Amino acid sequence: MRNLLLILVIFACICAAGCISDPYAEIDWPLTLVGADGNEKVMTVSEIASLPSVNGNGYAVSTVGIKYGPYNITGVPLIELLNQVGGVHEGQTVHVSAADGYLWVFSYEQLLGEDLLCLDANLKEMKNPATMTPILMYAADGAPYPYDDGGPLRVATMTAEPDVITEGSLWVKWVDRIEIHG
Amino acid sequence: MDKRGYLAIGFLIILFTAGSGCISDEHTVVKVVPAGSLLLPLAEIEQEYEAIHPDIDIQIEGHGSIQAIRQVTDLHRPIDLIVVADESLIPDMMYREGPNGVNYTDWYTPFARNEMVLAFTNASAYADEITTKNWYSILSRDDVKVGFSNPTLDAAGYRALLVMMLAEEQLDVPGLFGSVIGESFNPDLIINKTDGDMTLELPVLLRPEGGSKVLIRDASMFLMSLLESGGIDYAFDYKSVAIGQGLRYVELQPEVNLGDEAYASVYDDAVVYLGFQRFATIGNKRTGLPVVYAATIPYDAPEREEAEKFLTFMLDAFAEGGTGYPAPL
Repeated sequence: MRNLLLILVIFACICAAGCISDPYAEIDWPLTLVGADGNEKVMTVSEIASLPSVNGNGYAVSTVGIKYGPYNITGVPLIELLNQVGGVHEGQTVHVSAADGYLWVFSYEQLLGEDLLCLDANLKEMKNPATMTPILMYAADGAPYPYDDGGPLRVATMTAEPDVITEGSLWVKWVDRIEIHG
Repeated sequence: MDKRGYLAIGFLIILFTAGSGCISDEHTVVKVVPAGSLLLPLAEIEQEYEAIHPDIDIQIEGHGSIQAIRQVTDLHRPIDLIVVADESLIPDMMYREGPNGVNYTDWYTPFARNEMVLAFTNASAYADEITTKNWYSILSRDDVKVGFSNPTLDAAGYRALLVMMLAEEQLDVPGLFGSVIGESFNPDLIINKTDGDMTLELPVLLRPEGGSKVLIRDASMFLMSLLESGGIDYAFDYKSVAIGQGLRYVELQPEVNLGDEAYASVYDDAVVYLGFQRFATIGNKRTGLPVVYAATIPYDAPEREEAEKFLTFMLDAFAEGGTGYPAPL
């Protein structure tokens, strides 16, 4: 019993000293979610990282053919994240905006992984598209997603299969606001 | 110590100095951000320039024209040379104060022009029939698939729409825009005409109906891939891109191809409003203008002097021309 108590005390000391810490706790990047009814919810990166997450492959190509990745990416499916503000439904659009003044609009179908293009390693369209999940990514290759690459929060298209390349135009960097319209 | 001894010591000093990095092989990096449609000629120009100037490393990073400028104005990256496919973007986006109270730039050099064409392959439907005189009637046929790039992402995309708007009016073919493009959407895309002006307002989500004759891809390179695989029969793109890709193409009439300065007052009768404002720094209105390429050096270019030298070399190369180069002005 005394040994167990000792272990607990040591564990508590380690935690208090910050040895086991939340890697997202120090990131000051509020994300504003806006529901279709106009209600807003502001979340920290740490709160987003505490939601049920998914993990898989991320690989994108820009409009001029520059490839980014492949990465092992982690995040929350956009469609799940928007349940925080009442959810998104058929016929509605999702406006994702970024701190640098960029905006991209997703359809409900795209959030379900439909109407998205995927390419093979030679940048040819795949005849049998892979299953794709648009996510709000907060980690890549096991570490918080860096600011210089578009973090701490970036939209990404996740696939279960490796070497599937997706459209980079959807990978919105520095996401700070997501609104449901319609 | 004899002569051989001194030589040996000298050799060892050189070896250790080089090994410790004191003799450096570092290059001066000149960062160039061009529009995607210039990547092919610029790769050649870069190679030629670096062969003459082995101490210079020209680093080319392609983007869409608006994104190219935003690397400086919105993302504040240290860029030495900006080269875009729409000369109007430089004054619109860069003739304003940056964080240091100085304009991002106050000048630009127009240097080449391009025109819209229809690219196709031997496998395209009616490939042996299409000409400058009949292209619009071929595109109107039900069994012909047409592609263009996403107007929100790529200037060639909204220019394809402007071409079709101008064609309906200038070639006097009522309903042409609808039969080639507009009727592939639900609801139809419709041109609003008032006093000779034409406007087209795009929906937030520009998605052709499944099985329709129109396909849209993010950018030219994906469209060209689709064309080569037979997914579409014809693609709207720049003439230099079609030539650079080794594709067949048909030229369009000068009053609709956005390539002739003499028709500038005709082109600006057509305006496209994109479905949403993708960038906070530039609106969603795109007016018909001749396609003119232009370059500028941002005020805070880290390697201004080297950028000026490369710009001069680049302008000479474009004036001389080559396969896949836009035509000199």
